[in-house]
Amino acid sequence: MALSSLFVSLPIPLPKLPSTSKSSRFLPIRASAAAAAPSFDLRRYWTSLISEVEGELDAAMPIRPPESIHNAMRHAVLPGAGKEGAAKRAPPVLCVAACELLGAPRAAALPTAAALEMLHGASLVHDDLPCFDAAPTRRGRPSTHAAYGTDMAVLAGDALFPLAYTHVISRTPSPDPVSHAVLLRVLAELARTVGSTGMAAGQFLDLAGASALGEAEVMQVLTKKFGEMAECSAACGAMLGGAGPDEEAALRRYGRAIGVLYELVDDMRSASGNGKMRSNASVLRALGMDRALGIVEELKAQAKTEADRFGDKYGDRVLPLYSFVDYAVERSFELQDSAAKP
Amino acid sequence: MAAFHPLVASRVRLAAPLLPVAAPAAVVVAAAGPSFHQRRFSAIVAAATAPAATEFDFKAYMGERAVAVNGALDAAVPAGEPPATLHEAMRYALLAGGKRVRPALCLAACVVSGGREAWAMAPAAAVEMVHTMSLVHDDLPCMDDDDLRRGKPTCHVMFGEPIAVLAGDALLALAFQHMASVDSYPPDVDPAKHTARVVRAIGELARCIGSEGLVAGQVVDLEMTGSTEPVPLDRLEYIHLHKTAALLEASVVIGAIIGGGSEEQIERLRKYARSIGLLFQVVDDILDVTKSSEELGKTAGKDLASDKTTYPKLLGLEKSREFAEKLLSDAKEQLAYFEKEKAAPLLYLANYIAYRQN
Repeated sequence: MALSSLFVSLPIPLPKLPSTSKSSRFLPIRASAAAAAPSFDLRRYWTSLISEVEGELDAAMPIRPPESIHNAMRHAVLPGAGKEGAAKRAPPVLCVAACELLGAPRAAALPTAAALEMLHGASLVHDDLPCFDAAPTRRGRPSTHAAYGTDMAVLAGDALFPLAYTHVISRTPSPDPVSHAVLLRVLAELARTVGSTGMAAGQFLDLAGASALGEAEVMQVLTKKFGEMAECSAACGAMLGGAGPDEEAALRRYGRAIGVLYELVDDMRSASGNGKMRSNASVLRALGMDRALGIVEELKAQAKTEADRFGDKYGDRVLPLYSFVDYAVERSFELQDSAAKP
Repeated sequence: MAAFHPLVASRVRLAAPLLPVAAPAAVVVAAAGPSFHQRRFSAIVAAATAPAATEFDFKAYMGERAVAVNGALDAAVPAGEPPATLHEAMRYALLAGGKRVRPALCLAACVVSGGREAWAMAPAAAVEMVHTMSLVHDDLPCMDDDDLRRGKPTCHVMFGEPIAVLAGDALLALAFQHMASVDSYPPDVDPAKHTARVVRAIGELARCIGSEGLVAGQVVDLEMTGSTEPVPLDRLEYIHLHKTAALLEASVVIGAIIGGGSEEQIERLRKYARSIGLLFQVVDDILDVTKSSEELGKTAGKDLASDKTTYPKLLGLEKSREFAEKLLSDAKEQLAYFEKEKAAPLLYLANYIAYRQN
C-alpha cells in the first residue's frame, strides 16, 4: 500500500520558533515564575494528584464477579511501582492543571482525569498484544496479556473503554458545576481521541512502518499517539473548567506540544521502554539527535508561548503549566516513591 | 425436521396476512409527513377487517429501518479520511449487511416511549457499531477464531489481526463519539431535556457493554469453554444475559431514554429486552443444531463440535423450545402496558427473534 495515502493531512505541530520579541515578552513572566518558584512545588502538586487519581481508579474498579476481568483491568490501569517506577499519570495531571488554571474546582476534572488513564491503559493493553508489539513486559511487570492471556487482554481493553465513559458520567459533579452539554463535549472529545483519527490512527501508522520513514512521518506518529492524548487532556480540563473558545484552543495547542515533547525526550533519554508505548522504530534514528534536539527546543518554546497567554489573567495559577514544560525537558525529579499506592 | 419450534403454527399466522410492501395510493398520500408509519398503520387498521395485530407490515418496517440505519452508518465512518485502510476495515465490518435488529429495537423503543424516530437514529447507529466491534473482536484467533461471518471472510482474515483489533477499538470509540456529538441529532429534539437524556443514555450503553455487561458474558463464556465440566443452567443463563441480552437491553433502554419515556416505561422495556435477549440466544442454540451452515451464513454445528454447552444439550430440544415460548410470552406481557399501535414493531421484533430461521 502506498504509505503516502495513509497520512492525515493535519498540520504537523512543528511550531515556528518564536520570534525574538515573543521570547522576550515571555521572559519577564518566566522570571516572575522563577521568583515565585518556592510557592509552587511541581513535585508536591503532581504527587498529590497521583494519589487522588489512583484513589479514583482504585474505587472505580472493585474486584467483583467475574473477578478475572476485573483483575486484568486493574493490572492494566493500576500497575503499582514496578522496577521501572510507577505510572506518572501525566494525562490526568495535565487535565486537572488546565481545569484549575481557570479557577474551577479540582473535583470537576478528577473523574475525567481518571478516565483518561483508563483509555490510555486500554490502548496500551491492546498495543502490547502479540499481534502488535508483542511486549512481554510493561513497566517492569508482565504485560496484561502475559499475565492474563491474550483473550482476557483483548476483553480488558474492551471493558476499560466504556468504563471510562461510565466513570465520567457517574462521578463528574453535573449538572452543577459541569453542565450536561459540557459533559457531552468531554465524552465526544475522549472518544474522538482514542478513535480512528486519533490514537488508533497513530497505532495504525506505527504498524504500517511510518516511523521508519522521514521526519514528517515520525512526527505524525508521535502526534497521533501522544500529542492528541495530551491535547485531549488539556482540552477536557479546559472544558470542565469553563474555558472560552480562545482559552480552549490555546490549551489544546499547549497540550499537543507537551505530549510530543514528553515522548521525544523520553526517546532521547532511553533507547527502550519505561512506561509508554514505544514507537516501533526509533524516532531518533529517523530524526537524528541534532534535529531531535532542535524539535525539543521548538516544542518547548511553543508550549511556553501558549502558557504565556494565561499569565496576565490567571497569575500564579499558570505556574503548573510552565513547570511541566521544564520538567518534560529536564526531568529534574523522580516520582516513583510517591506513587507506590496500590 | 419439519417444525423447528412448537410455536411454528403462530408463525404461519403472522406470515400469511402480511400486506404487500406497496401500500394503496390513497394511504400513501395520507402517510406523507413525519409520522408516516404510524398513520399508514392507523389507516389500514380502520379499513381492515382482520385482527389489528396481523396488519403491521413487519418486513417493510425492517427493510426501511435497515436502509435508514445503513445510511447513518455509512455517513458516520469517514470513508475518505486517512488512515484509509483502518477506515476501510471499519466499513468492511460495519456495512457487511445484517438485519440491524438492535438499531430497529432502539428506534422502536424511542417511538413507543413518545419520541420521534429520528431522535434515536444516532443511538441506533451506535449500538450497531458496538455490536460490530464485539463481533470483530470475538472472531479473532485468540477468541473464537472464526473465518466466516455472514457468509464473508471475517475482518481479521481480510485485514490482519492488528488492524482488526484497532478497527474494533475505533468502532467502539466512534459509537460513543457519534452518540455524544450534538450534530448527530435532528434539530427538533426537546432542548430542555435532550442533553440530560443523551448523557444518561451514554451511561446506560457503557454500563451494558462493559465488565458487568457484554464483556462479563464473554469472560464467563471463555472460562467455561476451557472447562470439561458441563455448564450449569444458571451459568449458561448468566452468559447469555450478559453476552447477548445486555446489548439488546442497551438498545431498547437508550431508545426509551432518548424518546423521553417514563421510569416505568423504561423499566418495562428493560424487562422486555432481557427476555428477548435470552430468547435470541436460546433460538441461536436451537438453530445451530437444526440448520446447515449455508442456511445460517456461518459455521453450523460449531457448538456441538467445540463441545460447548447449549440449551438443547442441557434441556433437550423440546424443553428448549418451551423455554423460548415462555420467554416470548414474558416479553409480550411487558408490551401490553404500551399503546398497541406504537408497540407493534416491538411485538413483531420479539416474534421475529423467536421464529427466525438464521
